[in-house]
Amino acid sequence: MDTETSWAATSPALARWRAIPLGRRRQLLSVVLLALALAFPFTGVNPSHVDAAANAYTYVLLALGLNIVVGFAGLLDLGYAAFFAIGAYTYGAAASFQLKPAWSEAWAPLVWLGQVSRVPVDGQPDIVQLHFSFWFMLLVGALICAVFGVLFGAPTLRLRGDYLAIVTLGFGEIVPVLALNLEGLTNGAMGLPGVRTPRLFGFDFGFSPLPYYFLGLGLVALAVVVSLRLQESRVGRAWMAIREDELAAGAMGVSHVHYKLLAFAMGAAVGGLAGVFYVAKLTTATPDMFRFPVSVMILVMVVLGGMGSVRGVVIAALVLSFLQSTILQELTGYVNALGRQIGSGWLAKLQLINSLELIFGVILVLMMLFRREGLFPSVRRVSALTREQQAALPSRGTTVTLSWADPKPAGASPRPLLEIEGLTKRFGGVAAADSIDLTVRAGEILSVIGPNGSGKTTLFNLITGLAPRDAGVIRLEGEVISGLRAHEIVQRGVARTFQNIRLFNNLSVLENMLVGEHTRLRAGPLGAIFRPPRVREEERRAVESALEVLDLFGNRLIPRLDHPVYGLSYANRRRTEIARAIMTRPKLLLLDEPAAGMNPAETLELMDLVKALRTLGITIVLIEHKLDVVMDVSDRVVVLDHGVKIAEGKPVQVRNDEKVIEAYLGRRRRAA
Amino acid sequence: MSVFDVFLQQLVNGIALGMMYALLALGFTMVYGIIELINFAHFSVFMTGTFFGLLLLNALGYTGSSGALTGLALVGTLLLVFVVTMVATGCLGVVIERVCLRPVRGVSGTAPMITTIGVAFILINTILLTLGPQTKPFPKIIPDRRWLIGQAEISLSQVLLVVVGLVLMMGLNYLVRHTALGKAMRATAQDMDAAKMMGVDVDRVIILTFFLGSALAGAGSLFFGFYYGFTAFYIGYQTGLRAFTSAVLGGIGNIPGAVVGGLLIGLIQSLGGQLLEVKWTDVIIFSILIIVLVFRPAGLFGVQTPQKA
Repeated sequence: MDTETSWAATSPALARWRAIPLGRRRQLLSVVLLALALAFPFTGVNPSHVDAAANAYTYVLLALGLNIVVGFAGLLDLGYAAFFAIGAYTYGAAASFQLKPAWSEAWAPLVWLGQVSRVPVDGQPDIVQLHFSFWFMLLVGALICAVFGVLFGAPTLRLRGDYLAIVTLGFGEIVPVLALNLEGLTNGAMGLPGVRTPRLFGFDFGFSPLPYYFLGLGLVALAVVVSLRLQESRVGRAWMAIREDELAAGAMGVSHVHYKLLAFAMGAAVGGLAGVFYVAKLTTATPDMFRFPVSVMILVMVVLGGMGSVRGVVIAALVLSFLQSTILQELTGYVNALGRQIGSGWLAKLQLINSLELIFGVILVLMMLFRREGLFPSVRRVSALTREQQAALPSRGTTVTLSWADPKPAGASPRPLLEIEGLTKRFGGVAAADSIDLTVRAGEILSVIGPNGSGKTTLFNLITGLAPRDAGVIRLEGEVISGLRAHEIVQRGVARTFQNIRLFNNLSVLENMLVGEHTRLRAGPLGAIFRPPRVREEERRAVESALEVLDLFGNRLIPRLDHPVYGLSYANRRRTEIARAIMTRPKLLLLDEPAAGMNPAETLELMDLVKALRTLGITIVLIEHKLDVVMDVSDRVVVLDHGVKIAEGKPVQVRNDEKVIEAYLGRRRRAA
Repeated sequence: MSVFDVFLQQLVNGIALGMMYALLALGFTMVYGIIELINFAHFSVFMTGTFFGLLLLNALGYTGSSGALTGLALVGTLLLVFVVTMVATGCLGVVIERVCLRPVRGVSGTAPMITTIGVAFILINTILLTLGPQTKPFPKIIPDRRWLIGQAEISLSQVLLVVVGLVLMMGLNYLVRHTALGKAMRATAQDMDAAKMMGVDVDRVIILTFFLGSALAGAGSLFFGFYYGFTAFYIGYQTGLRAFTSAVLGGIGNIPGAVVGGLLIGLIQSLGGQLLEVKWTDVIIFSILIIVLVFRPAGLFGVQTPQKA
């Protein structure tokens, strides 16, 4: 930070640039880059370079599409070229001489629309020639690919990362083999014959690279805007939350099925766009254009640029495409000339293009060993902390308010908040919960204690739906919640923290908080992309709400709003996790050893907060090992041992309970 | 030939092929069992092994046009070629582990698997650039002796493949079940940290696992060379994926499962090729791969692979 500021100080121009707000700076940069890209073909470059650039845009599109799947949602797809193929063959088959169905009157409306023609054949029935509009097929290709994305993605939902990769690899292999074997549809290894070039208002794109250059640029610009907007939206945050910790994402109300399928569909749709564009430009398609090495090449682009970094992926895809199409050829010329000069036959004949895949392999290995975040990782601007902020002291007795809180005096509600009956869970022969009956009253602080392995965390897992129960019923405000999925239980008002903190480590404090708000926001992918006023408003309110919750922790978290949570201290990560749980606006908050790893002063501060939350109407169930804390803060205490509830009552009663002492200290030998 | 004879013939072919897939699948399964890594580099270690064997045979003076050997010369040459190739691929596996995979061991997510894809590309293209893209004939040093079982014939090379394969598998079985190293391997597979605490040198165990797995792939690569009579830079991917499917079918991480899976895939390939056209073989095998992973991730025998939280 220091070097940057001193440099800025010496350069007034840079200082002025930095004074412009970030969003405005980005807009200015985008306009400049777009203007440069638009001017590129008119700078007197060789037309072959314009052609190379148009092809490069195809790969940028593919890389951006794969980035949605791999970078945002963290799903390693090794068969991504399959969608490139499906898009290409969709347009290819709908606008070439490949399919020649027999004429029937059913085709008449399409003739009227100008999408097909009736062609007479000598001595045989007439046939239909398809020439569907490129623009229409661009949409259709993207939609068909999205459907295939869901079809290929659905079987992988329950699989772990590496198995998922293999299944996608399998689909990626099957698609080109089908393209090779289904000759009626694809013309097999011969390639599609005579795919039509696009037309726009009577202008035929033909075979000059220029129109494709602009079309490709337009598609890339579209994909960039879509990617950036998705990334900074409710949808993007849900993807990143799943990528970072699927279980915790579920506990925050993110449905992993929904968002994984959405990522597969959107990634595939972008691949489909690239396929339609590429086949129209090339006017043919063969199965070899879509095999495993192509999938790997796209993956290399994403890995080199930085998974999840839109900017990095675009740069890497451009560089690697030009490496393939132009740079290696030109270098070969120089190397060969050098070889002739120094009389080295090997150098004189060397063809560098043959080493392209070797270069890909080297890039993959080097990046994984030395720079896994990519060459241009997503920018994260972190504001430096003042000395005062860094040295925050524990503060006690601050008044807390939450605008949405609904404080009710304890015991005002006649009906218990949570009722558990006969809850049982077995792991093999061990009962981690053995017909537990438990009632949590609205507005109380209930502590669950017990020796290690007594089933406390299992109880939380059962209540929050993270572990399936073997028997028993759980009701929240009289409504059965046992059997619901984790994210549905959160939506009904039960939030939790984890014993071993489960934050989304690469996201900032604010982003973690906003994932907590997930169930309260409405924006879907379209809302994320178009950002209508409704979406902007809900995002603004979400940030306000996050700040309000973070304010409960005084100056602990607010100064660190933009910091990635992996860099926070242990206590601050605990606080962030609690804050994230409060973000879901729970009626019932389950805290699993919140004070673990905190010093006594921090623990007291935390317990003040717990009491304050209760005054705001949030009922709290606490698992805690620090018994002095438990005795001080709890209204009631429940003791578990070997999955059985052995005692329940006021702290004082429990402390003197014979069974409890036995469970903790062991059975006393008694005289017979 | 009657339908039964055709079936019998494909059964014989399938078992011989299956031995090759089984040897390759063992390498996948051992590495997965111990560090939960799907090792794409294994494909290309196998491919490189065919070239180690080929270069050695060429160095011994045997080329594609050499005649078959008999008697002691055959046994001696085979023994030498198998031992040298297996040691060479074994060492290649060790280098890959030491240089590329150890630094990413324990990195969560997909980084280790992506690394192995990179290593695979490096090996394939190194062979391509140094030895050229042409298909190379493999010396036919095994005599073309055939016996009839009914109407089906079984060749000497098939018999040799099955015998060598069985010997290697029994050796591996002995090593894993009855030696200290085997015990250390099984312990590491169950829980690496606990094994460390008990004094197992986990790094050494992993290195040896890579050595053994890659050496078996080396044996498999000679099977390929002698059976098909050629090699080329591109052969690793298809054969490797079929072998990987074998490992998945038998339950990845499960050593006897890999052998059964290999035999099954060999049979599916030879019998399936008979029932449908050969061009559909890959679609069948990849469909099996996907269906097993999705519906029975633990493999046909349902043996739980070691799970690490």
